[in-house]
Amino acid sequence: MRRERRAWRVADIDWIDALYKAYLTGIVGIVSIALLSAWAGGDRVATSTAQKVAADGPALLGLLAAVVVTVGLRSGERGGPLAIEAADVRHVLLAPVRREIALGPIAQRQLRHVAFTGGLVGIVAGQLAFRRLPGNDIAWIVAGAAFGASLAVGFAGAAMTVSGRHVRRPLGSLVGVALVAWSIVDVLTDHLTSPLSFFGRLALSPIRFHVVDVVPALALLALAALGYASIGGTSLESSERRAALVGQMRFAVTLQDVRTVLLLRRQLAQELPRSRPWFRVNRGPAVWVRDWRGVARWPKGRIARVVALGAVAGAAARAVWDGTTPLIAVAGLAMFVAALDAVEPLGQDLDHPDRGSSVPIVAGSLHLRHLSTAFAVTLLTGAVGLATAVAIGPDRALTAQVGAVTLVVAAGAAVAGAAGSAITSDPASRGEYAALLPPEALGSITAMRLVWPAAVAIAGFVPVVVARAAYTSTNPTAPSPVQAATSVGIIVLLVVAFVGAWVRFRDDARKWMSDAFAEAKASTGASSS
Amino acid sequence: MTVLEAEKLTKDYGDLVALDALDLTVDAGEAVVLVGHNGSGKTTFLRMAAGLLDPSSGEVTIAGNPAGSLEARADLCYIPDNPVLYDDLDVWEHLEYTARLHGADGWEKRAEELLEQLGLIERIDDLPATFSRGLRQKTSLALAFVRPFKVLLVDEPFVGLDASGQATVLDLLDESARAGVAVVVASHQLEIVSRSSRCVALRDGELIYDGAADAADVLSLVKT
Repeated sequence: MRRERRAWRVADIDWIDALYKAYLTGIVGIVSIALLSAWAGGDRVATSTAQKVAADGPALLGLLAAVVVTVGLRSGERGGPLAIEAADVRHVLLAPVRREIALGPIAQRQLRHVAFTGGLVGIVAGQLAFRRLPGNDIAWIVAGAAFGASLAVGFAGAAMTVSGRHVRRPLGSLVGVALVAWSIVDVLTDHLTSPLSFFGRLALSPIRFHVVDVVPALALLALAALGYASIGGTSLESSERRAALVGQMRFAVTLQDVRTVLLLRRQLAQELPRSRPWFRVNRGPAVWVRDWRGVARWPKGRIARVVALGAVAGAAARAVWDGTTPLIAVAGLAMFVAALDAVEPLGQDLDHPDRGSSVPIVAGSLHLRHLSTAFAVTLLTGAVGLATAVAIGPDRALTAQVGAVTLVVAAGAAVAGAAGSAITSDPASRGEYAALLPPEALGSITAMRLVWPAAVAIAGFVPVVVARAAYTSTNPTAPSPVQAATSVGIIVLLVVAFVGAWVRFRDDARKWMSDAFAEAKASTGASSS
Repeated sequence: MTVLEAEKLTKDYGDLVALDALDLTVDAGEAVVLVGHNGSGKTTFLRMAAGLLDPSSGEVTIAGNPAGSLEARADLCYIPDNPVLYDDLDVWEHLEYTARLHGADGWEKRAEELLEQLGLIERIDDLPATFSRGLRQKTSLALAFVRPFKVLLVDEPFVGLDASGQATVLDLLDESARAGVAVVVASHQLEIVSRSSRCVALRDGELIYDGAADAADVLSLVKT
């Protein structure tokens, strides 16, 4: 019957539309790969650098794999990764049908989907790697695809196993933490002991291939098989909760509503504020105190995520300094996502305009005040990144100097981007003048609305790129790296200030535009009559 | 002294007229109950007076200031039927934040009294996000009464409240009216009608009755 329903749904799809979507996806994929490849540059790294990659890369990639598997284990603790329709939970899973039969097709689809996505990401990474590292191009692409697909399947398998076998909380998380800790030990000691470090070596097999590295990949596939065999035990309670939230989340994604996606993800993760705060805040302006009180109730999971994002941003920025410019996007996006948590109090006021409009303070002013705490929190996040970048070395003194300048700029830009995202996610922020624009323009505006907040956050790391250019410049009149970073940092901060002014005065601007349109409409009506 | 004044206040959604040219004045210390069937325009009126909805035409003022202006917001307190609270603040932090944003002096004593009255004193350090519907409504009431105001607008105050909570609400409304606050309550509860001095009835967005509450035949007024 499910097959029949699916057949009906498929019959509803307009094949021209489907082909057009596939065509667009293909074009975007090809253009992305071409752009990333061009951006990464085609110069082969020095032999010493290639040796360093071969020596340090496996443990770092193993750490990445450990984090991904841990995310899978945590997802399983919350009933993931399957997203079942609410009606299926009520009617199919409550029917006298074996659950593994009912859930089998959904699990297969999920495994296929993650394997495809992981493999695609691996291919893109392999495409970037063979331009700079020694080894055959096909080998890099195959190794990337194998690493990405097996890791993604391992992620889903870990989640299905924990969920289906009712592994008690926090046992799954503890296993994940142990795996991450093991990988960290490997990174720090330069010795491969964790199986996931050997798995990381598989991704670098075009440099040197070891048969033993295939074993962890096979273990991840076995984990997926175990997960698939366990799906019959998936909890109905969590399935029902996920069904409602995932449906809403997909709808929010179609509306490009980042704020709602974030809130629903928190609900999905059952990430509730702590009933007892970590610390007390009693002094300061009302909004400042309110916002720090919110931060003081961050659950452990959110703190860990923000710290991890800070570390990722720092490591990526360090890699940008070392010459891998495309990682500026990773650094900026990591800070952007961390800042989305920091602007939570602003988001809550936007979610409930009733509350904000009941206080005798201009809404824009109230919203702007929220950003001071967000900036302070994001500075702390950035400090974790700075410490990470300095720890990675070398040139620690110079890294600290350039990093200090970048920290302020990147934190400001991330908060500006996150505030922009929260505000533009709010339907009330979309002016009525949009209705007067042609559909072609609306498409571009929608894309811009989605892209500009992240772009501003990424711009926060431009000082690193400019400082590196100054550092490698042979021109004797070139500024010092710190001077170069500061100069461009000031320009980025001007953009941040502009976003701040927009937060403060956007209602006035919208009212002015609305009045102007009404006036224009009235005068057009008068002249036509 | 008139503290709430609606003049030809209209709200339409295309062909649908939610409120039709309503003229209404409410004086300080007056207790007005707003009745009408579902969809009669009660909530629309309250939300326009609170500045949450823009009128299609006409205007509404609070103590002489346009609804929604900073001055009007300082003088007005609106309690919606659906409590809106922050996820990450406990009860006391909610009260402090609201009171400080309104520049209320000596709010702590008032807050303690309110929490005692509403039976929330034991839950002072708890997050309202984890509360039941009724406790959230009580928190919302405490937030409303923690700071001074001249006009009080309440939409269905009894939703989700137990008997003691309902009695406290009635006491708080009486107390406000005695203190010179203009109280406007949208409700179907006969207890509120009997405690009000004036009854205003709406039907399909139009004013159909404005007079003494004790003379109003509420049941016939709320018939569709």
